[in-house]
Amino acid sequence: MEHGAKIVIDTRQLVKIYQNGSEELKVLDDVNIKVSNSDFIAILGPSGSGKSTLMNILGCLDIPTSGQYYLDGLDVLKASDNELAEIRNKKIGFIFQKFNLLPKLTAVQNVMLPLLYRGVKEEEAWETAREKLSILGLEARLHHRPNELSGGQQQRVAIARAIVGTPQLLLADEPTGNLDSKSSGDAMEIFKELNRQGNTIVIITHDIEVAEQVRKIFYIRDGKIHENG
Amino acid sequence: MKLKQLLKLILINITQNKMRTFLTTLGVIVGTATIFLVVAIGKGGEAQINEQYSKLNVGTIIVMAAPRGRVVDPLTKKDAQLFLASENITRAFPVLRGNGDINYDNYSTSGNYMAIQPEFQVSNNLIVEQGRELEEEDENKKNKCAVIGAELANTLTDGNPSEIVGHSISINSRKFEVVGIYKAVGDSGSGMSYDDSVFIPYSVGERFLLGTRANPTINVQATSIDTVQLAIEDITAILNETHRAGGAEQFRILDAGSRLVAAQESARSMSMLLLAVAIVVLIVSGIGIMNVMFVTVKERTREIGTLKAIGAKKREILGQFLIEAVVISLVGGVLGVIVGFVAVPLLKYFELPALPSISGILLGLVFSVITGVFFGFYPAWKAAEFNPIDALRYE
Ligand SMILES: Nc1ncnc2c1ncn2[C@@H]1O[C@H](COP(=O)(O)OP(=O)(O)OP(=O)(O)O)[C@@H](O)[C@H]1O
Ligand SMILES: [Mg+2]
Repeated sequence: MEHGAKIVIDTRQLVKIYQNGSEELKVLDDVNIKVSNSDFIAILGPSGSGKSTLMNILGCLDIPTSGQYYLDGLDVLKASDNELAEIRNKKIGFIFQKFNLLPKLTAVQNVMLPLLYRGVKEEEAWETAREKLSILGLEARLHHRPNELSGGQQQRVAIARAIVGTPQLLLADEPTGNLDSKSSGDAMEIFKELNRQGNTIVIITHDIEVAEQVRKIFYIRDGKIHENG
Repeated sequence: MKLKQLLKLILINITQNKMRTFLTTLGVIVGTATIFLVVAIGKGGEAQINEQYSKLNVGTIIVMAAPRGRVVDPLTKKDAQLFLASENITRAFPVLRGNGDINYDNYSTSGNYMAIQPEFQVSNNLIVEQGRELEEEDENKKNKCAVIGAELANTLTDGNPSEIVGHSISINSRKFEVVGIYKAVGDSGSGMSYDDSVFIPYSVGERFLLGTRANPTINVQATSIDTVQLAIEDITAILNETHRAGGAEQFRILDAGSRLVAAQESARSMSMLLLAVAIVVLIVSGIGIMNVMFVTVKERTREIGTLKAIGAKKREILGQFLIEAVVISLVGGVLGVIVGFVAVPLLKYFELPALPSISGILLGLVFSVITGVFFGFYPAWKAAEFNPIDALRYE
């Protein structure tokens, strides 16, 4: 951790318990992590170890059973629904493993959405979305629907949508899991470039090669987190 | 998100599912068309009633035998004269009605005849087109003469009415000389058209056609609309006095004003009934919309999760699905109004008077929108309440 860098993610004693009938499943057990500004973090761990669970909490999509989570100094668990929506819209860019593009919208319309929810004017949102897509090499695919795009291209649309609102924090849950090694390499280059520009990035991966390219790795095992930077 | 963009998003969703949207709207189409037609029929009926009664003087009172009642001693010409003694009554004259075979020049038809006193022509706006009207002298001398309605004259002469004046016709084998033809007056509102009738002097009808079976009605004219009630009281008193055997009970006294009110009321209750039907149709179609919206929300659960993940607020999700339901129902409403317009000539063909109106269009559209809002709200609210992670995980 660079000295004096601003802390973006700060979790304290995070616990997540799933209740399956009468059985309790403790997926996260006393998770304390700190991520500072401009960090590039990978979360590794066996399948079912709770990586996605943690990521969803960090992305303000889910809430822990107990513990605290400060995002950029703000106590997320005390925020109202509307405040959370605003945090997700402005501070976080979330990239899903399955991309989660809206099937009926074109690439550019998908990318515009976060800006529109922010109240940005349509023309302006369109221009920004187009710009991001061309940076990611999709200039010629603006009006394609997701089902008219390859996996790698869909991935890039999803990345464009995550970064279009210039959020401080980029969260990616196995962003390369569905891609061949070429596309996966391309995506990593994009993340590295974004990180160089100052974005804080957290990605989940199974891929050691991917993990080797980041600055710090968190391992999750049996609900506990181990840092290995 | 700005409303304009939200609408765009909604339109993208609706237009990519045209068939479902259309099927969903079917019920709303029927419901809205029904409401539109209810209003149209209501207005048409009202206009028809008003037109019919505009020909009827509101000060007119009709005294007749009570329907299905036993008349011990019928009304007579003399009663009419007694009524005239009331200061509230300006005119009173008996009328006899009957029907029978009417013959002219080997052509025979069955029709109505009315035995009237000359005053009848004044109070019913009967004006001769050709020849002369019935006169006091015909009444006094019991002249066997007749004036016929325009339509009947046409029928009897096969389209050449002028030839009939001066010739004789027979009613139930009694000969009458045709002295004139009335101008057409249209429907009288009493269910019997004057244009299709033949008119003869009262005294003649009483003597030659109906004889002792004569059971006249008496047309009375009150001095003004305000004295109608007083006139009715006077008439009742007189009848109780002169018809001691059966009293006024055996007669029915109708005034045009209250008949108008009764007719309007029955038209209104008919409209209400149809409106109730339309509302039931809309409720059923609303439940259809609710079903479809539930399916839509369910199908798009992950999409809703994604929207929440990128910053959609609850009210934006609620708005999106609510407006989607409203747009669907409004599309149905507009189509319903169009269907209604197409159905109007059809109703006219079946002789139902229908009058399209702005208020009918608005009422139909308002109800369709209410249907959308009411039945779209719950599914939209459900969608808005999804917790992001559960929505995203939904399979
Ligand atoms: N909604 C839920 N209800 C009950 N149990 C759940 C729920 N979501 C996840 N789990 C359980 O929690 C554990 C962690 O799940 P999670 O999705 O976080 O794993 P993961 O580390 O992301 O795995 P993978 O690498 O396969 O994606 C799993 O054992 C899973 O079965
Ligand atoms: Mg996972």
